[in-house]
Amino acid sequence: MKNIVLSLNNVGLNLPDVSHHILKNISCDIHDGDFIILLGHNGCGKSSLLKVLDRRYQMTQGEVLLYGKRLETYSPAQLAKQVITLTQDPRESLFPSLTVLENCILVSPQTRRSFFLDYLYQFNKNLVTKLDTVVSKLSGGEQQALVLALTILHPPKILLLDEHTSALDPQAAITLMATTSQIVRKHHITCILSTHDLNLALNYGEKILVLADGKLAHSIDFEQKKNLNTQDLLRVCY
Amino acid sequence: MLETFIAALSQTVTFLPMAVALYISFNILRAIDMTLDGSFVLGAAIFARLVELNVSPVIAAISAVLSGAIAGIGVSIMQRGQKIDSLLAGVLATFILLSGNLLIMGRPNISLLSQVTLVSRAFQNSQLLGWILVTLLSGVFCLIICAILFTKLGLILRALGDNPNLLARRGKPIELYRLLGFAMTNGLAAVSGCLTAQTIGYADIGMSYGMTLTALGTVILGKQILSMGLSMHKFNIGKEFGACFIGVLFYFFAVNGLLRLEINPLYLKMLLGTILIGFLRLAGIAKTRGQI
Repeated sequence: MKNIVLSLNNVGLNLPDVSHHILKNISCDIHDGDFIILLGHNGCGKSSLLKVLDRRYQMTQGEVLLYGKRLETYSPAQLAKQVITLTQDPRESLFPSLTVLENCILVSPQTRRSFFLDYLYQFNKNLVTKLDTVVSKLSGGEQQALVLALTILHPPKILLLDEHTSALDPQAAITLMATTSQIVRKHHITCILSTHDLNLALNYGEKILVLADGKLAHSIDFEQKKNLNTQDLLRVCY
Repeated sequence: MLETFIAALSQTVTFLPMAVALYISFNILRAIDMTLDGSFVLGAAIFARLVELNVSPVIAAISAVLSGAIAGIGVSIMQRGQKIDSLLAGVLATFILLSGNLLIMGRPNISLLSQVTLVSRAFQNSQLLGWILVTLLSGVFCLIICAILFTKLGLILRALGDNPNLLARRGKPIELYRLLGFAMTNGLAAVSGCLTAQTIGYADIGMSYGMTLTALGTVILGKQILSMGLSMHKFNIGKEFGACFIGVLFYFFAVNGLLRLEINPLYLKMLLGTILIGFLRLAGIAKTRGQI
């Protein structure tokens, strides 16, 4: 039996300028090394749930336990080591005016170019020739690959992926997702991916959580998922 | 022509720390820090008052720089947690410093002509020696800041201006870094005020009028002039400081040139503003054509 990493108990969220509840009574346990897929229509609360988990939003009801400790007891620095979020806009996770190398140096004690040349090659071959390029000049795919590379320099325990491939062309999205999956398994990182891509959900997810109107509507485990195709999933989710 | 250039160069030397301070707050910390106006006078006021009280000029100069840094720390604390907008905090701090500087000086103007200052002996020997010493003092402070920007602290300060939320998410104490940044910039503004008071021979409560905006103009101007020949996309400390120097030199050359042409000083700022607009427009056109 795998250890519980995250435990959500009756999590609810209200936001000041929104009249309805964003999240309502969400309860579930997430185990060590799980690859969870969050599905649901636009506005159902997927991104908000991820923002609760990395504490960008303060939940208004319930509790989240990270390794058995309440989430709010972690300092920002402690939480940053445990939980990292990648969003669809890589610029949120990068310093766009700095170069690729400077972005790397900011998260690593290493300063040798040769180290980063070897390291970045695993994520995107183009990055190797763009070490001195300002990040805002990179393509979307290169920026996302760089975000992933920086994240894995100090592998977090939990990786939250908020539609991180949605702004990329199909080929770049497939490449990035394959790299993400490979890295996540190699470092045994617990991963929660919010997406609208049902193929992606079926190919990569070990467990699928379906949100509807801020509630946890369905929970599909690995055995149930094996018998589903995209049409079945479409009916369940939308 | 040579006289105009020498006059512009001498003014550039004393004003350069102020322009560098504005460059750091505007381009690196991404905040328009109006406190620099107040810190400029604060540096001059503290120096003049202490020298008048027979304190050693070296101690007076160190106190002046530290007082500027403290003003920077004050304005940073005011903005803590983005409770007050940086622009508003700067205006408020300058407002407070107006009274503070008057209290320090005890009157609106202190003459330094009969006092011993850091550079008075050198100027008594020769004008050239005096200006070499002023250049050295100004250069040392600018080089110290240049060296800091080369370090990891400098990189973090640039990252702070670029994406403060990410830095905070990574658990870095962003308020502390902002405080260090503002202490640095306001300390530099005080250096500029202190040097200016010594070279013009007095400290005056109104000596910083419009200085921040002038510095902003010179920094933008310098970057535009330099970007016509060099790529300014990537941060390069040499190019950035070069842009500050060229911008300030161009500005004072234009001021002195216009004055020598016997332009009525009433129209001076209006003309300089128009020249600046012209440059910005030209640079904008060049940028859209992909020439920059």
